[in-house]
Amino acid sequence: MRLGMVIDLDRCIGCRSCAVACKSHNAQPPGTWWNRVFTPGASFHQAAVGKDGALQMEYLPVSCQMCDNPACQKVCPSGATYTDERGVVLIDYERCIGCRYCIAACPYGVRQYNWEDPKKAKARAGYEKGYEYGYPADFRDKDGRLVYTPNRPVGVVEKCTFCVQYTSGGEQPACVKGCPGKVRIFGDLDDPSSEVSKLVRKRQTVRLKEELGTSPKVFYLAATKLIR
Amino acid sequence: MKKSNILLGLAGSLILISLVAWGYQIYNGLIVTNMRNSFSWGLYIATFAFFVGVAAGGLIVSSTVYLFNIEKLKPFTRIASLSAFASILGAGAMILPDMGRVDRIWNIFVYPNFRSPLVWDVMVISAYLLITFLSVYVQILPDRKKEGSRFLNGWTKAHSQEEVEAFSKKWSKRIALVGLPVAILIHTVTALIFATQASRGWWNTAVLPPDFVSVAVASGTALVLVISLLAVGKEQFDQHKGAFQIMALIVAGSLVVHFFFVSVDLIIHGWWGSREAEEILSLIFGHYGYLYATELLLPAFTMVLFFTEKGKRSYRALMIGSVLLFIGVFAHRLMLMFPAFNAIPLSLSIPGAGIESWAYPVALGQLQEGMPVFVSSWAYMPTLVEYGVTLLPFGLVLFVVTAALKMYNFLPQKPFM
Ligand code: SF4
Ligand code: SF4
Repeated sequence: MRLGMVIDLDRCIGCRSCAVACKSHNAQPPGTWWNRVFTPGASFHQAAVGKDGALQMEYLPVSCQMCDNPACQKVCPSGATYTDERGVVLIDYERCIGCRYCIAACPYGVRQYNWEDPKKAKARAGYEKGYEYGYPADFRDKDGRLVYTPNRPVGVVEKCTFCVQYTSGGEQPACVKGCPGKVRIFGDLDDPSSEVSKLVRKRQTVRLKEELGTSPKVFYLAATKLIR
Repeated sequence: MKKSNILLGLAGSLILISLVAWGYQIYNGLIVTNMRNSFSWGLYIATFAFFVGVAAGGLIVSSTVYLFNIEKLKPFTRIASLSAFASILGAGAMILPDMGRVDRIWNIFVYPNFRSPLVWDVMVISAYLLITFLSVYVQILPDRKKEGSRFLNGWTKAHSQEEVEAFSKKWSKRIALVGLPVAILIHTVTALIFATQASRGWWNTAVLPPDFVSVAVASGTALVLVISLLAVGKEQFDQHKGAFQIMALIVAGSLVVHFFFVSVDLIIHGWWGSREAEEILSLIFGHYGYLYATELLLPAFTMVLFFTEKGKRSYRALMIGSVLLFIGVFAHRLMLMFPAFNAIPLSLSIPGAGIESWAYPVALGQLQEGMPVFVSSWAYMPTLVEYGVTLLPFGLVLFVVTAALKMYNFLPQKPFM
């Protein structure tokens, strides 16, 4: 099994619902975003870019690209970052030593560090005391490794897990469910009959920074305009 | 000696300040540093790389003695090994406060990932620490036997002074020869931590490891030079002139090699004219121009100075040249970070809008009034806490070197000359 995602950029309206769903379902502390949506070329989101009066406005959601050749995993000295049997790159929050080598290594800027205790960060940001959001329970993989916990330990790295707490039970990730435009399609790239496989086979797809050889499992459909 | 007591006191307070700052950082998290998600390594890693660099000197100097039979340098092999041991200890200590979870550091040893250059570095640095320690140990063994010192020395009781001296001689040489490749490895592997990362154009070049070696030979030898100058003092300077000249030449010669590497590196980064490379070049010559000038000009000055007759022969010139070189090399280590982290790897071109390179913003990891959460560059400046923590290796090196010089005789012929 190799879980992957196809993102249809033609359908994306840049509403950032996926980013919000991701943030709240995964209890990301203030200032931490596993999933971002921006308007390439613009200094503000949803501002048009162009020249000579010819304007354009495209949106590009970016989260962990679930690389098949993940630099983050290769550099991780303690084996905290690993790829599970479904092809999902995960971080063991109890193993990570906080060296941040993986942040330097990842070409997509998706890795986020817990610079302080998330509880302190929430209090500092002015969140109401005792207000907790996100999936409320710990989630461990089949070997007992802690890959989701609502309040991450201080000093560890986190990032998109393809919503491991949901998808390991066969559900869809929060971003897929939360997207009003049905932009995101999630499934098994090893299964030729899955929708993701079909799309990757039939449509022209783009992967970010393809030239670096990271072999992402997130594919973008950009039928009308190509983004490098 | 009063002076050494003052120095020990100074070293002690540096260590104390750094430990307090580190404690404060552990309590609050790395939020007290100015590092953030888009600029995730800063002063600590730069200082670490600096100390790895100066740790080279020891074995370079001692092995020159044995490989090329340069007798003049012989009186300084002890100081050389000592400076190497102290520096690598400092480097090792510096890496600890950078870990967000230093309490779990054992995970590197229990679950090592052998594909990680960081794990390679832990191995070679530990080996170097051991080798330099043994090197110091065997060299001062005969003196310690004379004094009747017993700590870690018990086994020499059964042997005569001559036997111990012969043992010391034989093993000093062996350790120096085994140590030389390890000395080269610590720089190569430390450079590989950076050079392997294709995500960061500034690091991702095969010239980085050999350049690290050349800078290390220069700055490491300069450290031996400075400690030796201080230890022999102005009065006995003339007596050891020959040795100092050789060290100055090693420094200047390896700086020539370094500047050669810098030039080819800049040409290769610049010639093709890709957007990424242009961004890096505009960062080093534009925004970080002053720092880059420091990195280039100070060592260049030292190089020229150490080639001139006057520079090589004057106590003051050697001292000033070495200190300027240290500042330049420190700037060099800082410049590893700035261009690398302020060129966001995920940059896109939007040809339709005439935009060649647009950096995809990164979330900082902190929400604060008046500050954006998403940035495409981060004006990293170390905080006071970071400066405080960074005193740790400086304090350690000063402490180890001063204490050792005070306790043992590191200049064998001093008493009878
Ligand atoms: S996108 Fe970054 S964090 Fe995700 S697998 Fe690739 S290298 Fe790792
Ligand atoms: S910060 Fe954690 S996950 Fe990242 S490389 Fe270091 S130990 Fe691995």
